Amino acid sequence: MAAVPVLEVRGLSKRFAERRGRDPSSWVIKDLSFTVNDGEFLTIIGPSGSGKTTLLNMLAQIDTASGGELFFQSQAAPIDDPKSLKPGLSRKIGYVTQEDNLLPWRTTLQNVLFPLLVQRRLDSETRARAESLILAVGLAGFENHYPHELSGGMRKRASLIRTLVYDPPVILMDEPFGALDAETRAQLQDDLLRLWSLGRKTIVFVTHDIAEAIALGDRTLVLSRSPARIAGEHANTIPRPRDIRGIMTHPQFAVLYQRIRGQVQ
Amino acid sequence: MTSRETALAIPEPSPVWRGQFAITAGRIGLALALLAAWKLGADAVGPLYVADPIGVFQRILGDTLSGGLLRHVYVTLRLSATGFAIGCAFGVALPFLLRRMPRLTRAVEPYIMASVGVPKYALVPLFILWFGIDDAPKLWLVGLLVFYPIFIAVFAGIRNVDRGLISMARVVGASEAAISREVIWNSLLPFFFAALKIALPRAISAAIIGEFLVGNEGLGYMIEYSRQNFDTTGVFAGVVVAMALVLVINAALARVDRRLNAWRPVERHMEP
Repeated sequence: MAAVPVLEVRGLSKRFAERRGRDPSSWVIKDLSFTVNDGEFLTIIGPSGSGKTTLLNMLAQIDTASGGELFFQSQAAPIDDPKSLKPGLSRKIGYVTQEDNLLPWRTTLQNVLFPLLVQRRLDSETRARAESLILAVGLAGFENHYPHELSGGMRKRASLIRTLVYDPPVILMDEPFGALDAETRAQLQDDLLRLWSLGRKTIVFVTHDIAEAIALGDRTLVLSRSPARIAGEHANTIPRPRDIRGIMTHPQFAVLYQRIRGQVQ
Repeated sequence: MTSRETALAIPEPSPVWRGQFAITAGRIGLALALLAAWKLGADAVGPLYVADPIGVFQRILGDTLSGGLLRHVYVTLRLSATGFAIGCAFGVALPFLLRRMPRLTRAVEPYIMASVGVPKYALVPLFILWFGIDDAPKLWLVGLLVFYPIFIAVFAGIRNVDRGLISMARVVGASEAAISREVIWNSLLPFFFAALKIALPRAISAAIIGEFLVGNEGLGYMIEYSRQNFDTTGVFAGVVVAMALVLVINAALARVDRRLNAWRPVERHMEP
């Protein structure tokens, strides 16, 4: 089966503008190239400070690149000029950020409906979809709670389904489960894999946790310390559906873990 | 029925309730003490300097029944409300326009901030010179005094909006208008209400001062007219009515504030 690239990054580079009182800025990302295939779950792993968030911000087009090209379904998407940026690429790229960014004055349900509201797609069908997603991630009963009344895990779930609800073909995720305890984290990973197996979106998932990268991904890219480059690429054929809590015992897991750990410095 | 069951059936008044009662009682006590001090002061220095409170309330009642006071209150409220609406509209709209033009903002910001320091009341003679002796000079005064606190609060509020929320809204496809309406406006509501608490009483004060100087109607005119006729009771009556207006407006504002900002985390008392 020939893989169809949905997202292609060529020679992407980034350095932040110089500012007085700060050393001349060095490259955060230099000449980074990779492709993401349609329906693929790609995990990207790298040490903290390796420009992972910067990379996703550029893919989501909320930040400019200093050089390089981005193609979405073979169409060039200019990302080097702030004026031509199209955040979310006309709703084709969803972005689950590290911060949940829930609107504090909206309830859980209102937050999940927010993208549909601003896209003028709020009808009984999309509303039912929102409600089924709320049910699927166990937020039923908390629809009318405000974000500050939810736990960290619940807020993560709400921000995750806020992106799933409008069904963008590509979803970027920036360490979405980073700040959670191990059990909540395993549950959310489980939820995510289940939801993904139903819709088969393309997911680019950034993490600094090797086990998470292996457990979730079809393929894992390893980034080097800044300036970020691809230090390694690992195909992962552990069969799906996967059991998050038992995946460590799979023979391929140990092999991948060793190889990736050797590359993550 | 045992005493234990009775205790379960009729809960003791909670500490919260008792605390609230103490606060209310304290407030009433303080009001009575202030009134008593006023009465004693009036008796001590004479009615030409401090009007007798009973006379003042009789005057308010009498003027209300005759309709004269209501007309003055109406004129002052209309002036305050119109001036407030104009000042508030510019105070909110201008920061939203400047948000789209960061370079222009940086260029004009020092001038705007310098103009805050101009004493607006001192401009009234000029306003009369420029705009005549109708409502126009008073509207300028009220409008300017309302404009500044609102402009400054909204301007600061817009700068304070969480960038992450704006990026999120852009990524999910919100237009700039939708971002202004939903993300920015809601983020700065607490700032806006803080400014309203300054601007609304100011609108009334400015209207009254405007009426001191121009015109022949309104609470300010009533106070000034009484003063010219050595009618201290009339001056006091005007001041009391003006204070009452401000208190009523502040209470209404607090209600709206609580309603619009109901989502904000509040300190919760422990349930008994």
